[in-house]
Amino acid sequence: MSAEEAPAQGATPGERVAIGISFGNSNSSIAVTSFDDKAEVIANEDGDRQIPTIISYVDGEEYNGQQAKQQLIRNYKNTVAYFRDYLGQDFKSIDPTHSHASAHPQEHDSTVAFTIQDKEEGEPSTVTVSEIATRHLRRLKQSASDYTGKQVNSAVITIPTNFSEKQKAALTKAATHAGLEVLQLIHEPVAALLAYDARPESKVADKNVVVADLGGTRSDVAVIASRGGIYTILATAHDYEYAGVHLDKVLQDHFAKDFIKWHGTDPREDQRSMAKLKLESEATKKALSIGTNANFSVESLAEGADYASTINRLRYETIARKVLDGFNRLIEGVVKKAGLDVLEIDEVILSGGTSHTPKIAKNFAAIFPESTNILAPSTTPTAINPSELQARGAALQASLIQEYESEDIDQSTHPAVTTVKHLTNAVGVLSITGDESKDCVPARRTIHINVPKEGGDVLVKIVEGGSHIKVTKEEPAKTNGNKDDDSDEDSDDEPEERREKIWKVGKVLAEASVKDTKKGGKVEVMINVAGDLAVTVTAREVGAKGGVRGTLSAP
Amino acid sequence: PVLPEGWSGEKDFKAIGSISAATQRTIEPVGPHFLAHARRARHKRTFSEDDRI
Repeated sequence: MSAEEAPAQGATPGERVAIGISFGNSNSSIAVTSFDDKAEVIANEDGDRQIPTIISYVDGEEYNGQQAKQQLIRNYKNTVAYFRDYLGQDFKSIDPTHSHASAHPQEHDSTVAFTIQDKEEGEPSTVTVSEIATRHLRRLKQSASDYTGKQVNSAVITIPTNFSEKQKAALTKAATHAGLEVLQLIHEPVAALLAYDARPESKVADKNVVVADLGGTRSDVAVIASRGGIYTILATAHDYEYAGVHLDKVLQDHFAKDFIKWHGTDPREDQRSMAKLKLESEATKKALSIGTNANFSVESLAEGADYASTINRLRYETIARKVLDGFNRLIEGVVKKAGLDVLEIDEVILSGGTSHTPKIAKNFAAIFPESTNILAPSTTPTAINPSELQARGAALQASLIQEYESEDIDQSTHPAVTTVKHLTNAVGVLSITGDESKDCVPARRTIHINVPKEGGDVLVKIVEGGSHIKVTKEEPAKTNGNKDDDSDEDSDDEPEERREKIWKVGKVLAEASVKDTKKGGKVEVMINVAGDLAVTVTAREVGAKGGVRGTLSAP
Repeated sequence: PVLPEGWSGEKDFKAIGSISAATQRTIEPVGPHFLAHARRARHKRTFSEDDRI
């Protein structure tokens, strides 16, 4: 956060009007929090909540969002798209694949620039990617200001977890030039998790969460340990081979082949035809996420011939199978990378535009056990729109910190974050499942245990524990002749493997006795782990005074 | 479990070990619970002190 010092316009905390911005390669969105601390994604003047991250110039006039996206057909040379990941990069390290159909990035000093005709007359100008980002953010800021009726002057912006310090600095600079004080840059998966955890009905719980952010040009998956509402990223994966554009391409190829059958020309060979094909394929893909049937029609697709067709969801899922399977491997890989088993994942949050695809959520549900919550519109009716999660999370964070001095934000983000130890083993009370491991210390947990029925004296044993995956092979169920016919399909010859999570008791840390408990009473045990790993245990019967208290010294 | 016969400890408490393993990790500076943590860290307060305020 070093780049956050001395914001140019230096608004005092009281004068801040802060919004949350999710700034993506394909789409951006803006969110505000209302008076009751609910985050809301707002629409721009075109009525779009997902605003394409595209900027275009026609006769010196600037267009952004959906209007700029349409210009990819007729005016692609003066249209800049997919530029977020070029920020703070040198030309050699960028992958310009996605910019082929729009203004091409070029080397310019130590950065990337575009040559576009952005004025009514005269020579085309060379505009750096930083300036493009500034212009884009300025438009987002304007849309938010128009909506709220107040001049927006600060923002929390989401970034991928693998953004370098240089990229962060470049983004902060671009935002500052757009008149936005960057309060904080927060990681995209964490923003998505915050958007869910901030809902009034959700409770703070210790859980392992996988956030799958499936976007247009990239997919990012993160495993996050949430302990006492504090998040720690355990592992991340980034993929550029399996994303929304690859699903679009499946549809493009499908319809292009059909078009060739009828007309003999390949619409993919002509720039304008290809641009039309691309736009309509994306629209068809979106329609297939909502309905089971979708139309595809383009006026004058190639050589003046119109083209219209339909496709159903099943067919689409068949032809897109290869890409869809890629998402599965991605999510399985990252859980493994975190050193976890799918059984240890409590929640999977689907975020990003591609997460609307019902089949992806269905596939994920098959990977994880039934106990895992898959938060996607097609599997959970109360799921939040995956496209809005990050902007909402950013807006919530913005409302939390906008009262702070920027110095305070800097100070409490850095030293406080890194100097935290995480327990590798769980600590708990014998006979029940314990506190989860990867807790960040200091931490405090309280549990209630039922005392034995007859009451009396109780021994509380504090132990370390680790979770293990137990694999047991089940013998195939014996079937008699009659039942054989209808159970054929679900009984395989292989013995079925059953995997379950069990707790293994480790080192005993302490014992304490609670005397004379009543019948059917409960014992409350509070375990407090301090920053130096000293442990304090307090045990008392619920409702009773006093109790046992003891401390274990730090190792 | 029920207290076994003849178990004793100073003030009914017996310390046996201390926590063995911890790793340094980075937490995400996001959310209300982190901000509460940061407040405690900066003022060097403990949970119970923080509860009282």
